[in-house]
Amino acid sequence: MSMNKEIMATTIEHPAENKVEPELLGLLAEFNDPESLMEASRKVRDAGYNRWDTHTPFPVHGIDEAMGIKYTILPWIVAACGLTGGTIAISMQYWMNAVDYPFLISGKPLFSIPACIPIMFELSVLLAAFGAFFGMLGLNQLPKLYNPIFKSDAFRRATNDRFFLSMDASDPKFSEIDTGEFVKSLNPNHVEEFWSDVESPKLPRNLKLGLSLFGVLMLMPIALVAYKRSTVTDNPRIHIIPDMDFQPYLKAQNTTTIFGDGREMRPHIPGTIPRGQYKDDNIPFYYGLKVLPEDQDVITIAAQDDAKADEEKPAEAKPAEGANADAQAAAEDKLANLPWVTEFPMPVTDKMMARGKERYRIYCSVCHGLGGEGDGLVTLRAMDLQQGTWVRPASYHTDNVRKQPVGRLFHTITNGVRKMPAYGPQIPPEDRWAIVLYLKALQKSHQVDADTLTNDEKRKLRDTK
Amino acid sequence: MASVASEPIDTTTEVPGKRTPLVTGAHDYGTITDAVCRLAECKAPLSWYVALAASAALMGMLFGLVGYLIITGVGVWGNRSPVFWGWPIVNFVFWVGIGHAGTLISAILFLFRQDWRTGINRAAEAMTIFAVVCAGLFPGIHIGRVWLAYWLFPIPNQMSMWPNFRSPLLWDVFAVSTYATVSLLFWYMGMIPDLATLRDRAKNKIAQFGYGLFSLGWNGSSRHWHRYERAYLLLAALATPLVLSVHTIVSFDFAVSQLPGWHTTIFPPYFVAGAVFSGFAMVLTLMIPVRSICGIKDLLTDRHLENMTKVIIATGTMVGYAYAMEFFIAWYGGNRYETFAFINRAFGPYAWAYWIMVSCNVISPQLFWIKKIRTTPWMIFVVCIFVNIGMWFERFVITVTSLSRDFLPSSWGYFKPTIVDVLMLIGSFGLFMTLFLLFCKFLPMVAMAEVKSVYHEPHGHGDYQPEIKD
Repeated sequence: MSMNKEIMATTIEHPAENKVEPELLGLLAEFNDPESLMEASRKVRDAGYNRWDTHTPFPVHGIDEAMGIKYTILPWIVAACGLTGGTIAISMQYWMNAVDYPFLISGKPLFSIPACIPIMFELSVLLAAFGAFFGMLGLNQLPKLYNPIFKSDAFRRATNDRFFLSMDASDPKFSEIDTGEFVKSLNPNHVEEFWSDVESPKLPRNLKLGLSLFGVLMLMPIALVAYKRSTVTDNPRIHIIPDMDFQPYLKAQNTTTIFGDGREMRPHIPGTIPRGQYKDDNIPFYYGLKVLPEDQDVITIAAQDDAKADEEKPAEAKPAEGANADAQAAAEDKLANLPWVTEFPMPVTDKMMARGKERYRIYCSVCHGLGGEGDGLVTLRAMDLQQGTWVRPASYHTDNVRKQPVGRLFHTITNGVRKMPAYGPQIPPEDRWAIVLYLKALQKSHQVDADTLTNDEKRKLRDTK
Repeated sequence: MASVASEPIDTTTEVPGKRTPLVTGAHDYGTITDAVCRLAECKAPLSWYVALAASAALMGMLFGLVGYLIITGVGVWGNRSPVFWGWPIVNFVFWVGIGHAGTLISAILFLFRQDWRTGINRAAEAMTIFAVVCAGLFPGIHIGRVWLAYWLFPIPNQMSMWPNFRSPLLWDVFAVSTYATVSLLFWYMGMIPDLATLRDRAKNKIAQFGYGLFSLGWNGSSRHWHRYERAYLLLAALATPLVLSVHTIVSFDFAVSQLPGWHTTIFPPYFVAGAVFSGFAMVLTLMIPVRSICGIKDLLTDRHLENMTKVIIATGTMVGYAYAMEFFIAWYGGNRYETFAFINRAFGPYAWAYWIMVSCNVISPQLFWIKKIRTTPWMIFVVCIFVNIGMWFERFVITVTSLSRDFLPSSWGYFKPTIVDVLMLIGSFGLFMTLFLLFCKFLPMVAMAEVKSVYHEPHGHGDYQPEIKD
């Protein structure tokens, strides 16, 4: 192989405009194999040069030492990134699942390390990998798409099958003649100089203008989005994917071609009862009232007001009987003057009485007692515990309750009063009326004049005692 | 350096005390470059165009079906009560498994200083990326309302809600996306010096610009190589546990549930072994035709193929052991539901799938004990096709048999795929092959710099002397 030791300049003269004085950037020496390059590297290192490099198509092992390259700090960057990833992962999971939006699932702890490990691992690896890749690029000052060394045609083989040594002219020891001689003495295949550009490094004015215009245009979509997000509008938002929140059902007051009369809102169909209207046709049966009051809230309001009043009062200041009377008086004001029905809105039968007795014993007797005196087992137990939150249920055999019309009793079962909850949702109206009937019978049983009884009945009473 | 002249060598024969060359034929640094760059620099053979057209057509069908699915809803699949996972998840686990070989070959074999990996690692890594693309598609569309897929990620949203980090399904999102990202970095970083080679050899402006942009101004500086090699080693060290973690986490999707047949601790290692098994089979399936078509038999020798078949024997046997151990534990554990699930797998309505799986995965790789089969490319190819089929069926058996018959006989059912299921699986191969063919044509298919760096050793130091063989 012929050795061409002449120094060749690769720079070509350019037209006069934009021209700047070319500057020598360095020398490039080509070798045929890694061994000669390695040997040359040792000599350059020992000659005391600092700014120089070798270029090889693959990593030549041992050249680090031959060139005196210091060990890279990359592993530390990677370790730091990995630890950052792990820390981000665990604090993110803690904050999101245990603090900002607590997820309670099957009674598991809101935060536990084992469940966090997979994501900690993944994020540590991810950030460490970014650290390795971008750290390597950063330390190597890549990407650097322009490099004057690329202007050498011979250098194209640096990524193929040739081995190069480059001396940087900015090295303090660099001098054109001495270094040239020194490089030639390393016995390279071929040596050449590389020079800076003769053209002005400034960008063309039009390009700058074009780029800034492009940059401004690029900002416009972002600006539009920001504007739209920060203003209000009457128009419906643009809906690219109709996600069930807009449905093509018919709406009142609109027109349609589906029906002959062009109305979307349909008239009542003869022989049907619209939803909710059935009860309004049977007010006495379903409400215990002759007619509905204008202010319908009053029907349910009493029970709620009483319950609230009960909660507001401290438990100790609430002797059972006293509270009972007070609250009752308060409820009286609102409900006493309603048009309660005084007769049962259905035929009263023996069967109904039996049903009422059975239902009464299931639902009512636990608190009110079998005789309706407010001494059910639950009540006795609660009074025994003396927790102070129990309001003793009313006895039916007080004047106040005895005077109440059946509609009013029905209403109390349906909507509750004071501590007593509403039983309307649990007991169907027929059964509620049956209970009222049995309750009336209980009241009657406490007010029988002994003289109206036959001897047989008197004896019966005496025997059961 | 003068070229090393040698006659064709049988690299599958061991010469005691001597290293076998990794590159056969009369090659020097320049001819290695020429061989790898030829496909990128010359007009592609007709077979490439035919293959690309076929794959692109299948890929188009896949995207058409995805569009149909999004517009119509996931009801176009055969997934319905009680099998709500069905084929999309089978395909997902299958493709993620395929994606394991690339990073494994690159990272683990790199750490173990297995220099033979240099011939195959680039193509294997590319295969990894493309397989993960195919894998990511399926859970993406399986969520139904794909435009809400961002709910999976912990980003602030209008509902002020965060995802539940105790769900393995969420771990999966992190695992698969991290794996895809790190594999991509690993692949791309390995390619930078080779892209620079293509840049320096490119004749037309577009190629110069494209390769110039992506080679990031690489100039082969030894100071750069020093950091580059360190970074590559670190990435390999990071990717190795990552490979193991990805399929482990995929297996958690199953193992953390209560379902008989899924709720087992053997799943993580068993899934990883199966993934490596299927990945190596896929690498071989791809590389056997590619190395003849692209003329890189010198760089990707019979010895490479043989080494990979040995990995297949090892992992295939592990998979077989796992099948046996599942049965043993089902019986030994004394759990009636577990016992039933396994008896049902082998003898129930999906027995056909189970026995396809067993014969493809357990029996067929054992053929590689025979040296003749291990060193004959077309026989390797046939066995690897069987392994691919078997591994798909393994995922099918695990997913579908457990779901179709769980605790309550009243909620049993038989899963039937629809035509959309079948065509989507075929279409995903189209997507995979399209990407792979484009890679073969436009990117360096063999890691030139790495081959050159190890190529020197056996030749240069005279370890290998062909005449000793006789």
